[in-house]
Order: sequence, then C-alpha cells, then structure tokens
Amino acid sequence: MTGGLLLMKSLVEKDLKVRYKRSFLGFLWFLLKPLFSMAVYTIVFTRILRFGGAIEHFSLFLLTGLLPWNFFSASLSASAKTLLDNQKLIRSIYFPRVALPVSSVIANAVHMLMALGVLEILLIAFGHTPNLSLVTLPIAVVLLAVMTSGFCMMISVGNVYYRDVSQFLEMFLLAWFYASPIIYPLGEELIPPGMEAVIRFNPIAGAMEIFHSTMYYGTWPELWAWISLVAWTAVILAAGLLIFKRMEPSVVKEL
Amino acid sequence: MQKGLIQFSDVCLDYRLYRDRSVSIMETFMNVFGRKTSREWFRALDHASFQISPGESVALVGSNGAGKSTTLKLLAGIYSPTSGRVETAGRIASLLDLGVGFHPELTGAENVFLNGALLGFDQKKMLDLLPGIAEFAMLERFMDTPVKYYSSGMFMRLGFALATSVDPDILLIDEVLAVGDASFQAKCYDKIFGFREAGKTIVFVSHDPKAVRRLCTRAIWLDSGRARMDGPVDDVLGAYLDANAGKLQKTATSAAPREWGNREVFFSKVTLTDGNGIPTRTFRQGDTLKVNALIETRESREVKNVILGFSIHRPDGETILASNNLENGEPLLTISGSGDASISITPEIVEPGNYLLSISLTGNSTDYHWQDNFYPISLLGAKQIPPLRIDSLSVVEAVTR
Repeated sequence: MTGGLLLMKSLVEKDLKVRYKRSFLGFLWFLLKPLFSMAVYTIVFTRILRFGGAIEHFSLFLLTGLLPWNFFSASLSASAKTLLDNQKLIRSIYFPRVALPVSSVIANAVHMLMALGVLEILLIAFGHTPNLSLVTLPIAVVLLAVMTSGFCMMISVGNVYYRDVSQFLEMFLLAWFYASPIIYPLGEELIPPGMEAVIRFNPIAGAMEIFHSTMYYGTWPELWAWISLVAWTAVILAAGLLIFKRMEPSVVKEL
Repeated sequence: MQKGLIQFSDVCLDYRLYRDRSVSIMETFMNVFGRKTSREWFRALDHASFQISPGESVALVGSNGAGKSTTLKLLAGIYSPTSGRVETAGRIASLLDLGVGFHPELTGAENVFLNGALLGFDQKKMLDLLPGIAEFAMLERFMDTPVKYYSSGMFMRLGFALATSVDPDILLIDEVLAVGDASFQAKCYDKIFGFREAGKTIVFVSHDPKAVRRLCTRAIWLDSGRARMDGPVDDVLGAYLDANAGKLQKTATSAAPREWGNREVFFSKVTLTDGNGIPTRTFRQGDTLKVNALIETRESREVKNVILGFSIHRPDGETILASNNLENGEPLLTISGSGDASISITPEIVEPGNYLLSISLTGNSTDYHWQDNFYPISLLGAKQIPPLRIDSLSVVEAVTR
C-alpha cells in the first residue's frame, strides 16, 4: 500500500511539474480559467438575462460553484486520454495502472485547493464571513475527488474501447453543467420545485450545495447534501474500481 | 516459493484482432442487432508450460509471432493470462523497452525517481542508487538536464542503467542489448553476465544465436504459442536453426538473389561504398561497409515506422550478422516521396571470404521490400590484426527528405 501511495505522489508531482512547462503564466492558469468563465456568466446572467441580480455578489456565487465544477469536468475530460497517452509505459512495465487516472485527479484537486484559497480570501473581503461549517469543506473536497476518480476510472477504460466516449463526454458535460446548481442556487425558489427535486438527484449537486453553504453563505449545509455526496461517492467509486479491475487485463492488450 | 523461480503452467493468451481498429459504438449496436462485424481471436500462447529454477539463464527462441515477447510480458506481469497460471517469485527487472517511462520535460534525475516509484522504490532508495546509475550510464554531467535534450544513445543508456540498478531476482531481456555504441554494449553484457554469476534468473529473447549461446545454458523453442522443445541451449538452438535452414535451403543453396514484398516502400537505388564513400564490393576486416539506399514510396501518404534491416550470409546460407534500426534503438524511418538512408557495418571478427548481403524494408508485420542475397561482397584479411571486440553495428544515419 505504501508503494501505491508513493507511486501516486510521484505521478502527481510529475503532473504538476510538467503541466506548466513553457507556459508564461504558469500556475496562474488555475485561476484565470474560472475567472474568465465567471466574467462571461456574470455578464450573461446579470446584464443580459437579469437573472443573477437576485443574488448578492453573483460573481462570487458563480466562482464558488465554478471551481469545483472545473475540477470535475477537467478531470473527466483528461481521464479519457490517460491510458492512451501512457500506452507505451503500460505495455512495458507492470505497475498499478489505476494510479494513472487517480493521480491526474489528485493533481487537478491540488489546483482546485489553491484556487479555493484565493476565493475564500475574496469572499471574506466582500463580507461573506464563513462560520464553523468551513472546517467540513475539506471532507467534501476529498469525497468529491474520490467520486471524480471513480468516474475517471470508468471513462479511461471506456475510451480505450470506444473513442466515441470522449466525444460523447464533451457533449454530456455541457448538459451536466446546466443540470448542476452552479449558475443558479437551490432552495431559493428560482427554479420550479419539480426541477429542483430532479437536480438534487445529480451526483454532484450535494457537493455544490456544500461548497455554496460553507463558503458563500456561511451556513451549515443541509443534510440531504451530505447524504447525496456520501452515497454517490460510494456508488461511483465501487463501480469505477469494479469496472477498472475487471477490464484491466484486456485493456492492456487492446492498447 | 524460492526467489527467482518461474512457473508457467498451461498458459494461454488470446488477443482480439480487428480488421479495423477503430471499433465504434455504432458497430456494437450493429452486433447487438445481429450483424456481426469482423472480430477474430489470435491465440499468442497455446497451453504453454515450463518451469525455470532460480539461477538458470534461459533463452526463448522461435520465429516472429511464436509468442516470445508475449511470454516475457506475462512474466513481467504486464499481461494476465487468458487461462493457466504464471507464477514468479522475487523482484523482476524487465529490459523490454528501455526508457519508456521517461518524461521528456523532466531531468535525468527526476526521471530516475519517477521510474523508481513505478518500480516500487521510495525516494531514499533511489537517492542511494542515483550515483551508481549516473556513473554506469556515463551521464554524471547530464543528470540535471531534461531528457528531451538527450541523444537516443544517452536515453537508452539511462534506461538500461536504471532498469538494472534495482538488484532483481529475475531479469527479463528482449533484444535490447544493442544499446549505444560497442563499448557500452560490452558494458551491458558484463553487467548481465554479472547477474548470471550472482545466481539471478535470466530469461532472454534474441534472434542472435551467438548472443544466446554466450549467455544461456538452456533454451525453450516456442512455436505457434507452444513450447516445442526445451533443453540444453546447443540442442534446442541447433534443432531450431536446422528447421529454419530447411525453409531457407531452397534459396540458399542456389544462392540466387531473391526479391519480394508489396513495394509500398522500396529500394530504388542501392550503392555499396567504403567508409570514404568510394563504391566498392571488396572490403578489409575492420573497414566500414556502407550501404547507401534511396528509398521511395508511391503512396501519397507518409509511410511511418519503416524498419531498415540487413543481414550478411555465408554462401551456404548461414547468417553471420544481422541487425536493423529497431533492434539498434535507432529511430524508425518515415518515408514520404523518397528519402536516403544508410547502414554502416564494420565486420571485425568475421572470417575473410565471400558473402552475400541482404537488405530489407519491413513494417510491423508487412514485408515492403526484401532483397535477399542480393549483393555479393568479398572480405579480405585486415592489414593488421584487429583487437577482438564485439562487432560494432550501427545504422549511422537515416535522413529523409
């Protein structure tokens, strides 16, 4: 097990070291991308659609949801290629291959944590003082990362068999984004109650609710959010591990 | 189980073959609705069994596709058998493909640590091993340089040094000994012989009978995925070469030049020169024989991963020397339109006499163009007795334009 942790640590370090080589802005990109999306959505939803006006500091509300969403969607997109990109390595030495998708998720999570730190400072500066519930946020981050890893395990194997998976994923992520409480809040009667029930069933709705409550609102998250996050994480991780382990021997030959 | 023991019991391994590798979800739906698409299985290993005791040096011989590399991959744990059991005891070092785990942007030292982690070693252990690895690879001054600036020789040297640094109980070698220049090759052989003396188990795959005889005491002949013969190296290798000689006999006895291939890529002009570029068919021992080839393709696309090979045969057909850019760790050729490539051969310990040179262009599993026994050459004795060394073979340049 310690070997597995060590391998994971080395792969994450490699990922972080390599990612911003020859990039002028380097690590700043982890902030610039969500800030840009935030600017676009702020303009669309406060100046054009006038929907965001109902929420105080709409930009900060958006950013609170966009950071975990960007982590989630970037990890899923990257995982489609992770086994294919490392095929020579996989076919030349044995190592626990599940470390490849998982380490890439962890590297993305490191970026998300840094961006969340910056966001928390902004939130406090604009008067969104957190309460004690903020200490539970790291638990949500870990659970979200584990759930994301589960999805990534499935996608990485699936894409070896069917390259359509990555195309389909890009399409699906767009729908998923709007089906998640990122650009709109739950429980504020801004969306029809019927829709809200459906959206709460979304695997990442719980995580989003916890991010919003603990960081933006400074309140304790509702219980359903924790139940949803824990349950979905368990299900997705189990399914991911099962599929990955089951398909691993034939994936190595298919690559 | 005792460390170094290998047990291979009734092992089968199937690959799925696709006519077209891009199987889409659409096709799966069609399968569901009864329209079967072309999907075939290829049995790479067919109930193969053998056992190797700790400290044995065993060669796997057989023609291409007989299952040698598949066997090594099963032993390395890369593949899992379709049926049967593969058991190994102890730490395994696999020299299957050197330097694959290297990331071009990371430095030599960083890559050593990353690869160490892939092999299951922590930073502290790798820190201890690092000086020895750098020294063996002769790269002490370059360990803080990103490996993308390494030459292919430096890359392979670091790969070899790293893979052998970890004190394995079992060493798996797949024709990677053509690492770097002649002196480094000799160093690699010394290291491997050192492992043999130290009582490590070695499994060696090679097409070079000379190398097999030097390193191994026992050989297993794999034929169509089965262990056809298993025993002392001379017996097995003899039988294997005899069986193959039978195939070659028809052409070899007549010594007639033979040409075949699909000519997707072909030799359009070949000249043999000495080291100074002067055309000749007569060489002295220790001189360089240079084969300059103009290679063309009529395809409109680029033809990638072309393997340029050569072999030198005695008039009775026995192969004296053979190599290609793949085995040599040289880059494979990419041909679009036409391109030049050259092979330099320095036969040093080959007896003087008359020989036939064959050259070939092949792909992964296709023969583009073979010119077998096409170029008669004569080798004269050296002006002075050369020092006895491993023949240095290198494909010096492969430039396409």
